[in-house]
Amino acid sequence: MEMLSAFFMVFTHPQLLMLVGLGTLAGVYVGAIPGLSVTMAVSILISFTFSWDVHPAIALMIGIYMGGVYGGSRTAILLNIPGAPSAIATAMDGYPMAKRGEAGTAIGVTTVMSFFGGFIGIGVLALAAPFVSDFALGFQPRDYMLLAILGILLVGSLSGGSLVKGIFAGAFGIALGAVGMDPLTFTERFTFDLPVMRSGISFIAVMIGMFGVSEALAQLHHVDTVAVKQKISRIVPSFGTIRKHLPLSLQTSTIGVIIGALPGTGGDIAALMAYDHAKRVTRNPEREFGDGAIEGLVAPETANNAAVGGAFIPMMTLGIPGDAVTAIMIGALFIHGLNPGPMLMVDQPDMFWFIVGSLVVANFFMLIFGLTGIKIFTKIVEMPRAVLIPLILLLSIVGAYAVNNSITDVYWMLGFGVLGYFMRYYGYPLGPVILGVILSRLLDDNWRRAIISAKGDFGLFMQGIVTSPLSLVLFIAVIFIFVNQTPLWPMIKRRVFGRGKAAE
Amino acid sequence: MTSTPTASQTASEAPDVAAVAPAAPRPQMKRKPGEAVFALLVALASAGLMWSAYDISGFESLSAPGTVPMVTAFAMFVAAVITAAQTLRLPAMGGSFLREVLPLNVVLMALLLLAYGFALKPLGFLPTSAIFLIAAIKLLAKRSWGFTVLVSLASLIGIYFVFRVVFTVLMPAGIVPEGEMIQFFRNLLSKGQS
Amino acid sequence: MKHLILGAVSALALGVTGAVAQDYPTKEIQGIIQWGAGGSTDTVMRSVTPHAEEALGGTIVMQNVTGGVGAIALNQVANGDADGYTLMMGAENPLLYKVMGLGDKDYNDFTPINILARGTPILVAGPDAPFDDYAGMMQFIADNPGDLRFGSTGPGGLPSVVTAMIESVEGDLDVIFVPYDGDGPALTALQGGAIDVMPAVLGAAVEGIRAGTMKPLAVFDNTASSALPDVPTISSAQPDYESLLPWGPFFGVFVKKGTPDDVVAKLSDAYATGAEAEDFKALMDGRGFTMMNISGDEASDFLTKWQETTAWLMQDAGLTKTSPEEFGIARPGE
Repeated sequence: MEMLSAFFMVFTHPQLLMLVGLGTLAGVYVGAIPGLSVTMAVSILISFTFSWDVHPAIALMIGIYMGGVYGGSRTAILLNIPGAPSAIATAMDGYPMAKRGEAGTAIGVTTVMSFFGGFIGIGVLALAAPFVSDFALGFQPRDYMLLAILGILLVGSLSGGSLVKGIFAGAFGIALGAVGMDPLTFTERFTFDLPVMRSGISFIAVMIGMFGVSEALAQLHHVDTVAVKQKISRIVPSFGTIRKHLPLSLQTSTIGVIIGALPGTGGDIAALMAYDHAKRVTRNPEREFGDGAIEGLVAPETANNAAVGGAFIPMMTLGIPGDAVTAIMIGALFIHGLNPGPMLMVDQPDMFWFIVGSLVVANFFMLIFGLTGIKIFTKIVEMPRAVLIPLILLLSIVGAYAVNNSITDVYWMLGFGVLGYFMRYYGYPLGPVILGVILSRLLDDNWRRAIISAKGDFGLFMQGIVTSPLSLVLFIAVIFIFVNQTPLWPMIKRRVFGRGKAAE
Repeated sequence: MTSTPTASQTASEAPDVAAVAPAAPRPQMKRKPGEAVFALLVALASAGLMWSAYDISGFESLSAPGTVPMVTAFAMFVAAVITAAQTLRLPAMGGSFLREVLPLNVVLMALLLLAYGFALKPLGFLPTSAIFLIAAIKLLAKRSWGFTVLVSLASLIGIYFVFRVVFTVLMPAGIVPEGEMIQFFRNLLSKGQS
Repeated sequence: MKHLILGAVSALALGVTGAVAQDYPTKEIQGIIQWGAGGSTDTVMRSVTPHAEEALGGTIVMQNVTGGVGAIALNQVANGDADGYTLMMGAENPLLYKVMGLGDKDYNDFTPINILARGTPILVAGPDAPFDDYAGMMQFIADNPGDLRFGSTGPGGLPSVVTAMIESVEGDLDVIFVPYDGDGPALTALQGGAIDVMPAVLGAAVEGIRAGTMKPLAVFDNTASSALPDVPTISSAQPDYESLLPWGPFFGVFVKKGTPDDVVAKLSDAYATGAEAEDFKALMDGRGFTMMNISGDEASDFLTKWQETTAWLMQDAGLTKTSPEEFGIARPGE
């Protein structure tokens, strides 16, 4: 009974309800603007809500979180510039739809599917949190490493034109992620003895440059073409569409919850993995992936919103953050006199049910705000390019600066913008670069931890993989996908050996 | 078109690069202007990176900080060499590098961005951005000065408000006494409240 | 002649800053937080600063400037103006930058406004570890050389200093050091069984200990902690530690050296008042931090002593790049 009253608390207090709504609305816009992140918004709210009670403060933060994860898809669809890292995969199929004037449909599907994924995440949080957190905690360094390798195999899905160029781009991304002082040993890597390189290259700067600036520069080629008129008559997808994608969205939501619940991985990796999964299981998409396949929107959007519920699982059950935002929320709970940790669920189950309730409300608000106000958003793409492009460039600059208050990041961003422009033009896919940067630390750090834990012995390391059920499943998945889905070996054979080129 | 059972995954010739490379027409059967030079530069840079990766910790151990960088740099180098070899075999498409790859608009905009980068710190965010927006929109849209200035300033104020005031991102102030300005407005507001 | 001009110029400069200082603050103050959002430095600074703002009657805008183990933020403040409009909100790390080769500046280039609080290290083990106390752990290491997995973070972090203490007392440890990039992720790994023992700051471990997901071995202090009164101190298990303790990471607010005295005084007063706020004290207590709230010479002395102890500890453990001697850091007790 107490549990129910805590759960419904947010429904029955108009002030809390309003704060969740306000937060969600703000979150959608924060998420949509590249460079403004939910992490940033929530950490500013900590000082802002310092003197408040804990409930309104948390309600506002949850709204922003839910809205922000969803909001990233807006700019991804409309401008091909992901507003947040978790929307990278959304751009792949969302933007081609906008180019055909189907932005309304794309946003509609995205919204409904985010709502769906959000609910799966919340459902798992409410019903199975202790179970999932035990499972997530059991991931050893070698399992994280195998997960990262699984992620790297996505290069095949993200490569588009040429797999070789995709592999290059993916490896380039991993190398970019390694630049700077290695956080584990303080060894300098790829710094070329330059002090600026020591602190590494901001991932967000790379993302904004590669997607935002290079896209803007590429569009300068046809600055005078009239923008595509967007059809926004039919926004809410038909029930048939939703039913058709129900099995897929259940699968991708599951991916989202699990990846979200793992400490150290979040919505960005979840969305990319879900995209890859959709590409693999969808037999006959109405349109090719990368050309506006609905499945290409369903998968990442269900996954990244399901990851929100997932991220709360270790936070609520163990006091361990599932991602950067929940890390800040743990800080906020501390400030408000609660002690997030394994005892929170025991000492204050009310808090848990209040958060679940707020998430549910935030999810509904996200649906409402997502399906209304689309007209204003689509107006953005209908603006004359000659005005839009300079604005995108300025926004990219401010966004890159805002992440770390650093001018160096702005220079990096512009540099990668120009590089991205050439890579784009010569057919090097940019998706794998970002994928590589995201996965670089996960792969590298955990590889080293795993090998060190095995006393530097590769045999012992393999023995560890074979004797742990979880590692074994992941390992088999890696082998299976590598052999079955990425025809790397036959391709190299066909391309290189086939033409009689020396390969030894 | 060769068709293998897995063609839809690798999409070696499938027309689906639009999402990540809208500027690249496909399928690419001819070499674009400058492509060979780019491919060779990329291969050269990868070789340099390979050396730099070896320099981190050499073949010290499997868990050394340089192990993963070495493997990735090697992968980059192999992929870059294969790409370069493939590119060089393609017949050249012809056309001028400047017209195809770097038309005037792109060069101008890149120069504007460069100037922006240099001016941002000494001049400050507000004046630099205002000049940048006005120049860029005037160049591209070729509309009247009134329209250009109005659109530029209105959007700049919007961006400034969101980032500086709401999100307290401290863009370089330069010659504008921003801190004093904002404190002034804050004082006005707090006086109004009490 | 030259002296005269210099004198005139500095007099002028003093005059100008003096005028500014009287009604300080006339504009927003920037607070540069050395670590990322959600970290303990961030949490501490964001909870004390609103109280300090109230006392000061100004606005302090906080931003996180991360990277280079905090050196980026330190250099940014050190390269700015000494006018009291840029605050450095940092932790203990800068005091080790010189010896670790991470930079050529440390808190000697700054004036402390307030050292807010100090953390206490604690040695924790996973719930399934085959020992329950410090002596048991040392016995296990002796019986199973090279088997125990110790969590570590980069050189200069709390775990590396604590490990250096253990090695300076017990001799080299034959254990595996598994590196993590912070004690948060390492404690997660400890609960998941990826590592066996981890030196951490008490506040980060206290909830896990209460819930039984981690096992406390010893508190690294000479007196027991009020948050965990039942956990034995390390010096009760091994008296040789007594001379090295108390030691712990700390949080402080600083301004660039050369900031006018009255500005420093105003800021110090504001933060001293802010640190007295009940909810801030409750927060620090709950997270297992010891309130310090010191400023002026007391703070400077604390910093000097901290740097001497720690730098030489690291030097003796062979973890430094350059000897503390090079920078005129005296060996403690000399």
